[in-house]
Amino acid sequence: MDVRKAALTWLVSPVAVALLTVVALRAGANAPTAGFLYLVLVLGLATWSGWQAGVVASVTATGCYNFYFLPPLGTLVISDPANWVALFAFLTATIVSSRLVLNARRQAEAADLRRREVEILYELCFSLFAASQRSGGLGEAAARTLGALGARSGMLFLDGPAPVSIVGDMGRPGGEEPAPDEAALAQARTLRSLVVTRDANEVYIPLVVGGALGGILVARGAAASRKILESAGRLLALALERERLLAEATHLEAVRESDALKTSLLRAVSHDLRTPLTAMQLGLEGLGREVAGRPAAEAALREVAREQERLTRRIDNLLSLARLEAGVARPHPEDVAPGALFRAARESLALILAGRPVAVEVARDCPDLWADPSLTLEIVVNLLENAARSAPENGPDASLELAAAADPGADFGGKGRVRLEVRDRGPGVPAAVKRLVQGVGGAGRGAGGEGPGSGDSRSGGLGLRIAASLAAANGGTLFLLDRPGGGSIARLTLPAADLGDLEIPDLETK
Amino acid sequence: MTRTAPLLLVIDDDPAIRETLARELTLAGFETLTAGDGEEGKSLFARSDPDLVITDLAMPRADGMSVLAAVRRAGRTPVIILSVRGEEEDKVRALDLGADDYVTKPFSLRELLARVRSHLRRSSLSAVPGMPGGVPVILRFPGLMIDPARRTVTQGDREVRLTPTELAILELLANQAGKPVTLRQIIATVWKGAPATTQDTVRVHVGSLRRKLEPDPAEPRYIGTEPWVGYRFLMEPE
Repeated sequence: MDVRKAALTWLVSPVAVALLTVVALRAGANAPTAGFLYLVLVLGLATWSGWQAGVVASVTATGCYNFYFLPPLGTLVISDPANWVALFAFLTATIVSSRLVLNARRQAEAADLRRREVEILYELCFSLFAASQRSGGLGEAAARTLGALGARSGMLFLDGPAPVSIVGDMGRPGGEEPAPDEAALAQARTLRSLVVTRDANEVYIPLVVGGALGGILVARGAAASRKILESAGRLLALALERERLLAEATHLEAVRESDALKTSLLRAVSHDLRTPLTAMQLGLEGLGREVAGRPAAEAALREVAREQERLTRRIDNLLSLARLEAGVARPHPEDVAPGALFRAARESLALILAGRPVAVEVARDCPDLWADPSLTLEIVVNLLENAARSAPENGPDASLELAAAADPGADFGGKGRVRLEVRDRGPGVPAAVKRLVQGVGGAGRGAGGEGPGSGDSRSGGLGLRIAASLAAANGGTLFLLDRPGGGSIARLTLPAADLGDLEIPDLETK
Repeated sequence: MTRTAPLLLVIDDDPAIRETLARELTLAGFETLTAGDGEEGKSLFARSDPDLVITDLAMPRADGMSVLAAVRRAGRTPVIILSVRGEEEDKVRALDLGADDYVTKPFSLRELLARVRSHLRRSSLSAVPGMPGGVPVILRFPGLMIDPARRTVTQGDREVRLTPTELAILELLANQAGKPVTLRQIIATVWKGAPATTQDTVRVHVGSLRRKLEPDPAEPRYIGTEPWVGYRFLMEPE
């Protein structure tokens, strides 16, 4: 290429000038005509083959013009000073015009280069993003990028949970891919800018999106400008980001669908389980009226009603737990007055507590609870039911105690806690049940030791375990303690409502 | 048309519940009609003009909400919703849309009968209680008297000093004694729906109202809390 250009400059230009001279002499052209002809030729050569050819042509043309057309003819001497001026004007015009032509040519070349670069980037962009909605994977994206850059081979290093991994490798046929230059790799990673190895063979392109480094693309033998390499790096980084977002979106969609499914499934289960329970309860009440006055039948019916009530409660428990664990329901805290809570708990256990004294003690300074009213009621009902089952049926030890007070030991970020206790004089908490409850929701160890009589295998385990899970979901804890003097204490601690401290402006007095 | 006993319309898609309810309500002295879905319920309502409607929420062919909408388009007939736990939002929505009360399945017959009687009594009183002809009348409850015209509340012979907000909430609840009132309804009436009013604001005012009114705020006698819904004035007017 360079040899041909030199040949054109040094051979073609003088030959063309000589030919023009011969033609002009034959045609008997005068000095001004010859001058214009030379100017046209010089411009033509400069345009066709660059400024060197133009200059060579203009020097040769000046010589010929002087020799053949300017008096005294046949010499390189100029007699008339006016002819000197003409000669220099001619030479200057030649050189200036050839420079102009050259500039225009350079700009055209630059524009052409930019056009090609844009084409490369556009094609890359198209193949990475537009060609297919379905992502072809990271390896394919990297391979496409390397192809667009004209690289012989390359690698993609991802900065992710797995620190560095080779995803795409164009590989040379028959040859082992050499290991990347660790220093250059580290440099590209730290500086987040393009790093070119000393022999210019390898380029390390950091892939940055939104300020975060997604990986490094190593391109070997890439024939592209720095600008293209950087732009291609940005495109690939975007493709990586898209890949990540697509994966995330797919995951979210799956989660959303599964949530919707869980919600409707739980709703259907809830409806299908409660509908027969409702029919049973209504039927039992009707039956109760019909067997009135027949003590044996009444007793049997009471037993069935008690079991129906217990089944209802257990189903409520399990559905509450399922809804919480499936994430389709979250506790909906409100202020709950402990006294009202205890009363509601006793009312829902009317059959089980029938004839059993229950002492209620709410401390004067006890704040309201800040908890989901329905879940909290379930917890207390479970604890009370469990206490009723473990305490003796009759005698002084049959009585149960419900107590509420501000939790003395706890101050959670300025927010108080309320301590609710259900106490009985039963045989104490079996060690297995204690472990079962203490293992739930991060609740700590109970303060009490192994209770006496813990061999009791009549397990209230499920109810207590559910109570512990529901307590944890409400931001509370449940401890099972041995009661001094015998029996057990179920201690539920829940956040206190501090609404009373809010400054709420009153309505304007009319 | 005069009836010897109040006519109740029971709408539930479960035949066992529907039939048991009809039998028990009849035994309790009511006339009953039953429908197995919302569409049938709506057409029965239009034909028979019952005194009270008891409807399930989730049903095939038009749900409880659409029954409620149809009943409300026709007038003020009391509607009691049969709801299931886990449908709390639907329940609150139904109350906001004009349902009078709800019971949660499985419910006891005693509970439902008490609600039915209370709402029949309320609807038999002329127009809006406390406001015949737009003139506020004195509301009297056991041990409590509210005089909206003079803006005074008397407990026994002691006058209770309430702030304007507390009085407005008390009047709203007492005027609908026995009926659950949702937080949204309280905000809409007392604060005229002012956008800055939150449910916590209502709770704070009800809390201070209880401290002034209730002998034992932990065991409310007058203003009961309806979990997730709002409040209910617990006493019946004298």
